[in-house]
Amino acid sequence: MEQQDKDNSQDGLLAGSLARCAQGEQQALRLIYDSEAPTMVGIAMRVLRRRDMAEECVHDAFLQIFQKAGSFDVSRGSPRAWMYTIVRNRALNIVRGEARTDLVDDFEPMGLTDDSENPEDAMLRMSDTRALKRCLETLAPVRRKILLLAYTDGLTHGEIAGKIGMPLGTVKSWIRRSLLSLRECLA
Amino acid sequence: MSLTRDDKDMLAAEHAMGLITGEEADQAEQLLASDEEYIELYARWRERLSEIDGTATRQPPGEALWNRIASALPVAAKPQSARTPAASRSQTLRLKDLWDSLGFWRPAGLVAALAALVLATGLGLSVREIGRQPVLVAVLMTENNQPGAIVNVMADGRAELVPLSDIPVPDGRTLQIWTLWDRVRGPVSVGLAQSARRLDLELKALPRTTATQLFEITLEPVGGSPTGRPTGPVLMKGNATTAL
Repeated sequence: MEQQDKDNSQDGLLAGSLARCAQGEQQALRLIYDSEAPTMVGIAMRVLRRRDMAEECVHDAFLQIFQKAGSFDVSRGSPRAWMYTIVRNRALNIVRGEARTDLVDDFEPMGLTDDSENPEDAMLRMSDTRALKRCLETLAPVRRKILLLAYTDGLTHGEIAGKIGMPLGTVKSWIRRSLLSLRECLA
Repeated sequence: MSLTRDDKDMLAAEHAMGLITGEEADQAEQLLASDEEYIELYARWRERLSEIDGTATRQPPGEALWNRIASALPVAAKPQSARTPAASRSQTLRLKDLWDSLGFWRPAGLVAALAALVLATGLGLSVREIGRQPVLVAVLMTENNQPGAIVNVMADGRAELVPLSDIPVPDGRTLQIWTLWDRVRGPVSVGLAQSARRLDLELKALPRTTATQLFEITLEPVGGSPTGRPTGPVLMKGNATTAL
């Protein structure tokens, strides 16, 4: 419950700041930046791997957040889900627009760090009180790993198939079944 | 397109995961622009999955990034009352537009009430965090049962209005905020605003705000209601409740 209270309180603060952004208050965007930019860089890094690209992505995302703050409606979702979707979609657009295979294959020779996280780290960081974590735990470990990897790294069906050396059709049906069990468990 | 709800839900799940590409992605985006059921299903999956986003390692960016963002923001930012129709829609703008579109986030009635409760609690707590003490919070609901604004009444009697969404104000009209603390005296004006913006309310001259006291916003002629009583349509209203 404590975590829940903290989240609700944060959500209220963020929703208030978004309302002020909609009025053109840059200081309100700064408040959001101070609280959310570090996580947003982290989200973008998982997908893009490169710090410079991740920061560029977060830059674009914050301009969008400021511009669209007026369309955020608290009755339609949490402020964080709204903002994280903006940064994640931006990262996916960047990576899919710019031939990700080149990026991934070359990143070491280019002196870039590979600090990609183990998908299970995401599990460990989720609060035990969360339904999503409890439901992910009901999946077979290998399926859970694939699902989390797909999400955190922003991989497509095809990319996962290539990465784990399994036929595309198998990957698709595995993930589909994992999502179905998640939905059932979360219902 | 004759997809069952189940088909749509699976597509929405894979879409929200970011798994799909090509034709499937085109189909999903088309649904997101036009299909209410799909819009709702997609939003639900995004909400569920965003919890995984929250586990990303926090990596504080340098001050330089903020400076670049700040310098790219519109210089004289105006309220978004006049949202210009998109003149040219490039491929890359499409997702943004979807996210922007009103139809995208189709609310469920109950969710609105719940969100209001969460927000009232949340805002009460969060405002306290920054050293202010709201003792009463009113969530003003629109006639569609959407939370439209919040009134925070502080321990020292000061009060503020925080809009949660844009309120279209026709030319020649103004928003007027009222409170009803005594049915015999009737509603008393506590503020005027040309657009939905954060506003300090003039409550100090009134008796102490009490729980269940009504706040409402009406549309009035510029300069405020000529009669001193609400004359225009009520845009939203809500009763104060004690902040936790």
